[in-house]
Amino acid sequence: MSLMEDLRYGVEDLLRTERLPHVWCPGCGIGITLNAFLRAVLRRKIDPNKLVVVSGIGCTGRAAGYVNVDSFHTTHGRAIPFAIGIKFARPELTVVVFSGDGDLFAIGGNHFVNAARRNHSILVIAVNNFTYGMTGGQHGPTTPTGAYTTTTPYGNPDRPFNIPHLAISLGAPYVARWTTYHVNQLQNSIYKALGMKGFRLIEVISQCPTVYGRRNSMRTPLSMMEYFEKNSIVKNDASFEEMELKYNEKIVVGEFRVAKDIPTYEERYDEVIRRAKNAD
Amino acid sequence: MSDKKLKKKGNVKIDIERCKGCWYCVNYCPTKVLMVSDELNSKGYHPPKFIENPEENKVCIACHLCELYCPDFAIFVEELK
Ligand code: SF4
Ligand code: SF4
Ligand code: SF4
Repeated sequence: MSLMEDLRYGVEDLLRTERLPHVWCPGCGIGITLNAFLRAVLRRKIDPNKLVVVSGIGCTGRAAGYVNVDSFHTTHGRAIPFAIGIKFARPELTVVVFSGDGDLFAIGGNHFVNAARRNHSILVIAVNNFTYGMTGGQHGPTTPTGAYTTTTPYGNPDRPFNIPHLAISLGAPYVARWTTYHVNQLQNSIYKALGMKGFRLIEVISQCPTVYGRRNSMRTPLSMMEYFEKNSIVKNDASFEEMELKYNEKIVVGEFRVAKDIPTYEERYDEVIRRAKNAD
Repeated sequence: MSDKKLKKKGNVKIDIERCKGCWYCVNYCPTKVLMVSDELNSKGYHPPKFIENPEENKVCIACHLCELYCPDFAIFVEELK
């Protein structure tokens, strides 16, 4: 079998195929992101018994139920606390948080900020579809200013989080953003991040045609994908202003920060234990 | 596509019951060998069908893009030996 055929059958092994078809709507970008993630895991040759996937609540949170490895579908907003606990107790495991924008940045926002600041060694794949999909399309902390949602019928007055900027300002050693249109770049980015340590963030701009697209003149899956295709610009050295997402405007994607040798929380904690043991 | 004759390199298998008819595969196949079928699966979606036409250079080049874009894990590309 060729490498690509191996990967395809490997993905089947990493899925609980008896649960397919999954619950996600036609054309939802979460499935594309999950596919990219599983292929990156296979290419990294991570032992499935040493991988843990942690999700919160929401459409993206359902991913934990489809992966055929140890996984946690946690309470709303708490994927990161569960993940850092797992990593702390079992440092030999690869711990990945796979969750959505509402879960990670509204309900779980404080956990995100503090885990990034302390540089806990986890990879966070943040699927950002600009809305709360599962509960019917309310606006959230990543909804672009001016966008229409069920709770902002005259346009959103809020300013959204600039997620990569936030992560960089907290010192996260790996920060990238792609859209689901960038299937290969996204997979390579996850592959690279899986080989690093510390708090790694990959934001995936993803389509929710069902409740976001239909209120923002992108009713079909293909029209949302075309928006990503036509408006994305790769710029690894983008400024903070350029990373900001504006309603229906350009999406700047790329690998915004790659920093090696920043001590992780787990390493610093070990050091404290060592010092305590050597003290009188 | 240019005049250059493309070499057939793969075949596509579609798990029709997993498909939800988003048609990313149809849109992003570079050689246009996937088409929306008239048939419906048991959930009421139109899955793609695999139709080649070597005369018009429509053959599967095993680029695997359809597999990467499918959100529903419904496509398997088999490479010819
Ligand atoms: S509601 Fe939106 S995010 Fe949720 S599964 Fe459907 S398309 Fe995906
Ligand atoms: S592998 Fe490439 S050429 Fe073959 S059907 Fe898929 S997208 Fe088309
Ligand atoms: S990409 Fe997958 S789900 Fe979408 S139409 Fe093609 S086979 Fe069906």
